[in-house]
Amino acid sequence: MTAADRDPPALPPGLRERVLAASLRARAVGRPVPDAPEISAAEAYRRAAGAFYEVLCFLGDLDWRTPVLRGLDVQGLVGHLIGVEDDVRRCLSGAPEVADASHVESTQAAAIGQAGRPPALTRADWRRAADCTLHLVRSADPGTQVAMHGMRLSLGALLVVRAFELWIHENDIRKAAGWAASVPDASTLRLMTELAARLLPHAAARVGVAERVDVRLVLTGPGGGTWDVTVGGGAAAPAAVSIVTDAVGFCRLVGNRVTPADLDLHVTGDSGRAAAVLAAASTLALD
Amino acid sequence: MIATPSRLCLEDRPTAQAISEHCPATVRRASVLGVGGTDAVLAARLAAGDDHALEEIFDALARVVYCSALRVLGDDSAAQDVVQDVFVELWAHPDRYDPVAGTLRTYLAVLARHRAVDMVRSELRRVARQERSYRLMPAPPSAGAGDKVMAAETASLVRAAVQLLPASQRHVIELAYYQGLTYREVAHAVGIPEGTAKSRLRLALAKLEEILDRQLLEPS
Repeated sequence: MTAADRDPPALPPGLRERVLAASLRARAVGRPVPDAPEISAAEAYRRAAGAFYEVLCFLGDLDWRTPVLRGLDVQGLVGHLIGVEDDVRRCLSGAPEVADASHVESTQAAAIGQAGRPPALTRADWRRAADCTLHLVRSADPGTQVAMHGMRLSLGALLVVRAFELWIHENDIRKAAGWAASVPDASTLRLMTELAARLLPHAAARVGVAERVDVRLVLTGPGGGTWDVTVGGGAAAPAAVSIVTDAVGFCRLVGNRVTPADLDLHVTGDSGRAAAVLAAASTLALD
Repeated sequence: MIATPSRLCLEDRPTAQAISEHCPATVRRASVLGVGGTDAVLAARLAAGDDHALEEIFDALARVVYCSALRVLGDDSAAQDVVQDVFVELWAHPDRYDPVAGTLRTYLAVLARHRAVDMVRSELRRVARQERSYRLMPAPPSAGAGDKVMAAETASLVRAAVQLLPASQRHVIELAYYQGLTYREVAHAVGIPEGTAKSRLRLALAKLEEILDRQLLEPS
């Protein structure tokens, strides 16, 4: 054992600041390693649609009739998604009636209308509707503001929401068919986590998180990252909480398919306020 | 390989194997959180770009890193440079640390030691180059007291290591580096071809580096 071991010298003053500053020059806060290649929102939607269609192609006749969500069987759920694509088309053409239409009620007729049809026709109709969306957004400015199903957001954000919904429902169908769950590629996931983190204050406001919370949200694994978001308001002293969890798990929470109890969570700070933030996150789902 | 949708649609109902091949759950590298343990969580946070994790690690382990470097270098300023190198490396490439392979403390201490040894190696090369150029210069510039002490310590380390070389290799090193002979002169003095002198010197230098590394890496 050396003298240094017995009595380790104190760190020289200023070293901490110097080292941390040099580190942050090497990589910006919040950027994950490895970083996923950037893709456009339209590309994320295209990939999610491709994965969804692939699953539809594998379903047997019995699978199409398996109950999956809100009393719908798989075919009805695909019908719901045909209805959503129709509303996207109407939204992009400026039809005002879809701006505040209910996500479920507005598409219910399309969902129910699939009953008794050959599954191949439902599948082909969905593919056509998704292709129509892809065609419409190909030359559109992703920054264009649109309004649909109670959301006011950019076209780019809407496409990420749509990719999110397709992935969630793809997994609803996988679960109904007894297949393993899927995970989006890191680039798509990164767009989803980014959007979910950005929408967290809105979700908290909607469910009435009264006390102000400064949240450090750390989503680990591919597609993850780090975000500082402030949610809530009010006069009470702000609390700082840190929530660390897996990016995919968090997206499933936002999609309302798991609860906070299902996540591998590491929370520091006020656990009650962290729970309120997580509960708010799960209300972002359109279902 | 993912088959094209049109081909898939033409197929009969697939077997479970076909489903797992064509509609796989995307295989992800296991989340570090799944590995468990504080170091794994810290590593996952670093990878996610959480600078608070870096601060926590610095506060917990910077002294270990600093002492590890100081033991090898014996110089405070150089040890601080190693601390900076090690933490910048950890932040820029957190994926190089594998929590399954060992603790973060061990990883950082070993990284610090390697960086410190690299620093000594490059200092040795600098001193060797300097010694040779001094012989060619009529009036070498005077170095500062600290540099002189460092150079003297390093030179003494090298001389001790040279004594451990086999006699034939030691001889060519002494001729080339301590007496300043060229390859041709070494070959002539020893009575061997010039090519043999070159390869013997290369071997001797490699052996010398190995001895020095071993000495520096051995715990004090």
